[in-house]
Amino acid sequence: MRYLPTPGRSLDGRKVLRFENGTEIRTQNLSTALLLTLCICLLAAVSVHLGQTRISIQELLEALSGSVLDEEQDYALWTIRIPRLLMAFMVGWSIAIAGAVMQSLARNPLADPGLFGLNQGATTMILLLIVLVPAASKLMIMSSALIGGLLVATLLIWLVGGGARTHGLAILLMGIALETVLSSITSLLILYTPQEVSYALADWLAGSLFNATAENVLTFLPFFVFSFAGILLIGPCLSRYELGNDAAMALGLSIRLTRPLILGFAVLLSTAAVTSVGPLTFLGILAPHIAAFLTPLKGRARLFISGLVGGLLVISADVLTRSLESDIPVPIGLSLTLIGVPLFILALRLQAINRQTQH
Amino acid sequence: MKPAIIHDKNRVSLKPERKTDFRLWIFFGLATVTLCAVFISNLSLGATSIPIHDVTGALFGPDTDNYNQIIVHYQRLPRTLIAIYVGAVMASGGVILQTLTRNPLASTSTLGTNAGASLFVVGGAFLFDFGVEAQGLAALAGAFFGFFCCLSVARMAGRSNDPRGLSLILSGVLVSMLFVAITNAFLLSNPMKRSEFLGWVTGNINHAYIDRLSDFWWIGLLSLLTLFLTARPLTLLLLGTEKAQSAGVNVKGITRIALAATLLGSGSAVAICGPVGFIGLIVPHMVRPFVGNNVLSLLAASVLVGAVVCLIADMGARLFFQPYILHTGLFMDLIGGVVFAFIVKRVYLARAAL
Repeated sequence: MRYLPTPGRSLDGRKVLRFENGTEIRTQNLSTALLLTLCICLLAAVSVHLGQTRISIQELLEALSGSVLDEEQDYALWTIRIPRLLMAFMVGWSIAIAGAVMQSLARNPLADPGLFGLNQGATTMILLLIVLVPAASKLMIMSSALIGGLLVATLLIWLVGGGARTHGLAILLMGIALETVLSSITSLLILYTPQEVSYALADWLAGSLFNATAENVLTFLPFFVFSFAGILLIGPCLSRYELGNDAAMALGLSIRLTRPLILGFAVLLSTAAVTSVGPLTFLGILAPHIAAFLTPLKGRARLFISGLVGGLLVISADVLTRSLESDIPVPIGLSLTLIGVPLFILALRLQAINRQTQH
Repeated sequence: MKPAIIHDKNRVSLKPERKTDFRLWIFFGLATVTLCAVFISNLSLGATSIPIHDVTGALFGPDTDNYNQIIVHYQRLPRTLIAIYVGAVMASGGVILQTLTRNPLASTSTLGTNAGASLFVVGGAFLFDFGVEAQGLAALAGAFFGFFCCLSVARMAGRSNDPRGLSLILSGVLVSMLFVAITNAFLLSNPMKRSEFLGWVTGNINHAYIDRLSDFWWIGLLSLLTLFLTARPLTLLLLGTEKAQSAGVNVKGITRIALAATLLGSGSAVAICGPVGFIGLIVPHMVRPFVGNNVLSLLAASVLVGAVVCLIADMGARLFFQPYILHTGLFMDLIGGVVFAFIVKRVYLARAAL
C-alpha cells in the first residue's frame, strides 16, 4: 500500500491524489484525462469500423484478443487501419505538445509550430533533400527536417530579438513572413519535379495519413516514447517560464541552458510529425486551448492533456474525412486548417474579450 | 506651382516646396525612362536574344515571315503587357489600402483580396465549369468577399472597434490561409483540371493569358482613373478623419469609392494571371521616400514603379532559372516575404522594443 497515492487537498483547496514523493495529481485533471482516453477509445473503434471491408465491434475485440480473422479483414485491420489510427494519435499528440511548449516558452498564446514556420522549414529541407539526393534514407530525411526546423527557429529568434518585450502579434507576423518565403521555395521545388512526384508531394504537403504503414509507426515510436520523458522533465520548468524570464531565473532556472533544450524538444516533436504526415497547422494552437478550456491546467498535466486532445482532434479529423463519402478526398491537413482557422479566430475573440474585461 | 503635401516623420504640411517639386520631376523622368528601357529589354531578352531592330519592327507592323518578330509579337509582347497591367494595378491598390488603413503592411495580398478572388475563380471553374468571362466576374466578386471577410474577422478579433493595426493584417493572413486551403482542396479533387490551374494559382504571367487581358483590361483602367480622381481627398484623409471632413471631404463616400475601385482592379488582375502577390506591399514602400505622402504623386509613381518591378520580376523569372521558366508569382512571393519580414522588424518590433 505504500506506493499507492493518497487522496488529499492541495494548498489551493482542490482535491488531489498525493504520491509518496510529494507529487500531486489533481483529481479533476485525472478525470478529464480518463474521459479523453475514453473518447479516444470510442473514436478509435469507429475509425477501425469505417471503410470498405466491414469489421464489427465483436470481431475487433476477438481480433485484439488473439483470434484470426479472414484474410481480407486481417489485411484491412492490421496493415491499414490500426497503423493509421496509431499514427494519427501519435502525430496529434506530438504536435499538440510542441505547441503547448512553445506557447509557454514564447509567453504567446498564439504560438504554433506551423504558424511560426518551423514545419515549413522542415518541409523545405526535406524537399531539397529529395530533389538533390533522390535515394535519401529515412534517417537522413528525419535529420534534415530537424535541421530545417531548428534553423527556422534560430532565424526567428534572431529576427525577433529581445523576446520578452516584443509584441506577440509581431512575432506571429514575422513567423508568417518566414513561412511565406519558405513555402514559395517549396512550391518552386514542386513545380520542377515530374508530375506524378509533384502530385504525391502536394498530397503529402496537405497532410495525409494515407502512407501510414506499420514501418512508419515504428519509426515514429521512439519520438513518442521520448516525448513522455520530455514531459516529465520539462513540465515543471514551463510553468516558471510562463511567469517571464526574470521570474524564472529568480526561481532558480538556468535560462541559458534550459531554453534551447526545451525549444529543441518542441522542434524535434513537430518535425518528426512533419516527416511522417506532412505539416499540420493550427493543431499546436487548438489543442492546448481546448485542453485549458476543459480543465484548469499547468505544468506536466497541461502537456499530457494537450497531447490527448491533440490525438483526439487528429483521429476525429481523420474519421470525419473518411466518413464523408464525397468525390473530393480532403487531406487531413486541409480539414484541420478548415476547422482550425475559425476556431483560431474564436480564440482571438475570446482573448480580446478577456483583455477588455481585465482593463 | 501646385501645393504639395510633405509628410515628414512628425509633420504634415500643405506648404509648397520648390525643392521637393524638382525632386519629384527628376524621379518621374527617371521612372519613365526605366520603364521604357525595361520594356524594350523584356522584349528582346530571353531564351534567345532578339536584336533591337526586330523588336521595334515587331512593335510597329510585324513581319509574319520573320521568326524573331513572331516570337516578340505572339509571346513576349503579351507577357510584357500583362506584367505592366498587373504591376500598375496591384501597386496602386497597395497605395490606396495603405493610405486608407494607415497600415504599412496593407496590400491586396495581405488583406485576403487576392486569395478570395482566386478561390472564387477556381471554385467557379471546378464546380460550375465557368468560362473566361464568368471567371472574371467570379474574381471580382471574390475580391470583395475576401476583403469583407478580412474586415469582419478583424472587427471580431480586434481589441477595439477600430480594426486597424496588426489585428487587421493577422486576420487578412488567416482569411487568406483558409481560402488557399479551400482552393487547394478544389485543386486536389480533379487532377485533370489541376494541371491547368496549378500555374495560375501561384500567379503566373504567361502569354497564354492574353485573351483574359483583352477581356478585362478596361476594368483596371477604370479603377486607375477613379483612383486618380479621388487622390486629392484621399491625401486630405491622411490628416485624420475630422480634419478631412472639415476640409469638405465626404469621408465615407470617398473611402467607399476608392475601396471599390481598388478591389475591382485587383480582382481583374487576379482573373488574368492569378494572385501575383506582394507587389502592392513592396512598391509603395519603394516610392514613398522619393515622392512623399501625397496620394496623387504616390499613385503615379507606384503605377510606373509597379510596372517596372513586375517587368523585372518577370525577366528574372525567365532568365535566372534557365532552362526553366519560373512563375512570376513565386518569384514575387520570395521577394515579398523577405520585405514583409523587414517591415515587421522595422516598424513593429523596433517600436515594441522602445
